[in-house]
Amino acid sequence: MKDDLHSFLPLSPATLHILLSLAGEDLHGYGIMQEVTRQSEGKYKLGPGTLYDNLQKLIQRDWVEELGRRAGDDDPRRRYYRLTLAGRRVLEAEIARLAEVVREARARLQIARPSTAKPRRA
Amino acid sequence: MLRRIYRCVLRLHPPAFRSRFGDEILSIFDQANGRLSGFRLLMDSMLSLVRQWTLRPEFWRESVSAPAPQAAFDGIPSFCVLSPFRPRPTAVVPGLILSIALFSLTCVAIKYSWIHVLRVRIPEVQFQAPQWIPPHASATGVPDRTTGPVATNHAIAPSQTPEAASRVGSIALPPTLATKAAKNSAVYSSSSPQFKAQSNGNEIPRPSPGLQQPAAAALPLTATGPAAFAEDTTLDAAARHRVVDGASAIVRKYYVDAEVAQKMAIALRDHETNGDDNEVTDGPNFADLLTNQMRDVSHDKYVAVNYSAVETSENTSAPTPDEVARYRKEMKQNNCTFEKIAILPHNIGYLKFNSFPDTSICGPTAAAAMAKLNHADAIIFDLRDNPGGYANMVALIATYLVDRPTHLNDFYDRSQNSTEESWTLPPVPGNRLADEPAFVLTSSTTFSAAEAFSYDLKMLKRATLVGETTSGRGHMGVPHRIDGHFTIRVPGIKVINPISKTNWEGTGVEPDVKVKAADALRTAINLAESNLQKK
Repeated sequence: MKDDLHSFLPLSPATLHILLSLAGEDLHGYGIMQEVTRQSEGKYKLGPGTLYDNLQKLIQRDWVEELGRRAGDDDPRRRYYRLTLAGRRVLEAEIARLAEVVREARARLQIARPSTAKPRRA
Repeated sequence: MLRRIYRCVLRLHPPAFRSRFGDEILSIFDQANGRLSGFRLLMDSMLSLVRQWTLRPEFWRESVSAPAPQAAFDGIPSFCVLSPFRPRPTAVVPGLILSIALFSLTCVAIKYSWIHVLRVRIPEVQFQAPQWIPPHASATGVPDRTTGPVATNHAIAPSQTPEAASRVGSIALPPTLATKAAKNSAVYSSSSPQFKAQSNGNEIPRPSPGLQQPAAAALPLTATGPAAFAEDTTLDAAARHRVVDGASAIVRKYYVDAEVAQKMAIALRDHETNGDDNEVTDGPNFADLLTNQMRDVSHDKYVAVNYSAVETSENTSAPTPDEVARYRKEMKQNNCTFEKIAILPHNIGYLKFNSFPDTSICGPTAAAAMAKLNHADAIIFDLRDNPGGYANMVALIATYLVDRPTHLNDFYDRSQNSTEESWTLPPVPGNRLADEPAFVLTSSTTFSAAEAFSYDLKMLKRATLVGETTSGRGHMGVPHRIDGHFTIRVPGIKVINPISKTNWEGTGVEPDVKVKAADALRTAINLAESNLQKK
């Protein structure tokens, strides 16, 4: 199972952000978009086309499930989405991978720093 | 507006995606519009459209709730679509209108496209069997304006039997023009020395009385051998008087212009009275003398007295089956005088024909020639060596240049005081030449029916004439029998164009572009090419 998960990694930025936005709470499409913008501090803006194109894929992989409409919502067309257990595992795996990448990167950058700081040899 | 475009793009998405997420996406669009730029939203939907159709084939068929195909009710047309999306029944009406509009637009574009990229051939083209008149169709001699050239029974010599009349019934200008056409063929087929001797400055060989069909024109060649000349009988005063009397009577009766006819008759009588004829005792010279006496006052070169050494019987006006067969064979041998049929560069059709042969024999040849040129973008008729022929062929070829039966000419017969009309035939199915530019090449040796063809098209503004002024034969005549040896050719029929109300007699047909006959083809090609470029 773990290997299966790893075959999907690394996740595309859109997938990662969508999974991440759903990690906290169930959201509707527009909510996901807003959450992604907030998480990336406005640097990554997801369009509805891209969002649903990815959602379709995620639902098919059972990483996200559709909850349907909620009574009393502003817009009756909205449907809510929830991260499934599988989705959460993939996200965790991706975060772990990223953490590893970050750790590795930091280690490398620390080693590299003195050498690059040295004056160029004649 | 933006929302409408956005919705259109959404509709282009795979049906499964559209039905599942369409509403939601639109709801986001409604909510985000203003906060996100419209252009960005649109680009996003375009990207997802491309992604959906290229990278997500596995979702195309996924349907959330594809409705089961409904059974069609009896008599109600049903639609089978690959997509689970079903159009609203009311959408069928605008769809139908759109389809019809698109179809009409395509048809119009094909018809009027100047590029002619699409050359649509209509399979029902019937060029091999156009509707010309069968030889006996107008046997009664009753003009039939709807089916073809007018029968001109009145052009037949009065001495003809009804049977003979029926044989030439379908020929419109046969007698004179036929003689000319036959002269053409006769010249081609014979180098008989006496033919030249007999011609004596006339273009036409001396025909036997009442020659109606071209084949008959070959008759003088066979009938008047050198031996016949040797047996010439001497003409005495009484014989001369008889000929002069007969000629005067015929001229008065048949000649197209009554006044000139009177002058000629008086001249003949005066010369006889003055004793000018007394010294001439042989037939050919006497015939020439009378001819010159008449031409001096009429200035009409068409008037001619002819002498035949072999005595002809009363009723020789009708050609014998042998003569008809000979003409038919000759026409077959020289392809009905259709010398050259070609498609020149730039898709310009070129047709050179050296007579207007009888359609009852050469109709299929003419139709085949025109069929070969049917897809030309312009057409050139070369009549520079065309001495004329039959009016029915004039009408047949002109038929291809017009889109409806068109009045070409009137034939006024003075002796009968009657007028007959010549019309083009009903349009040939599938003909494409009616709207294409046409050019006619003329020379000073373009005669009679060829002049009629040129003149008619010029008057109809249907063709550009290029070359020289034509010879100027606008009258037609029949040889009339004076006695067993002498005949007189008298122009008795006047061609009257319905547009100009006159003809080209004496003046010739003036070309639109005057160049030497030798340069006419080059000039016409240049004109056609520049014309096509302007198109």
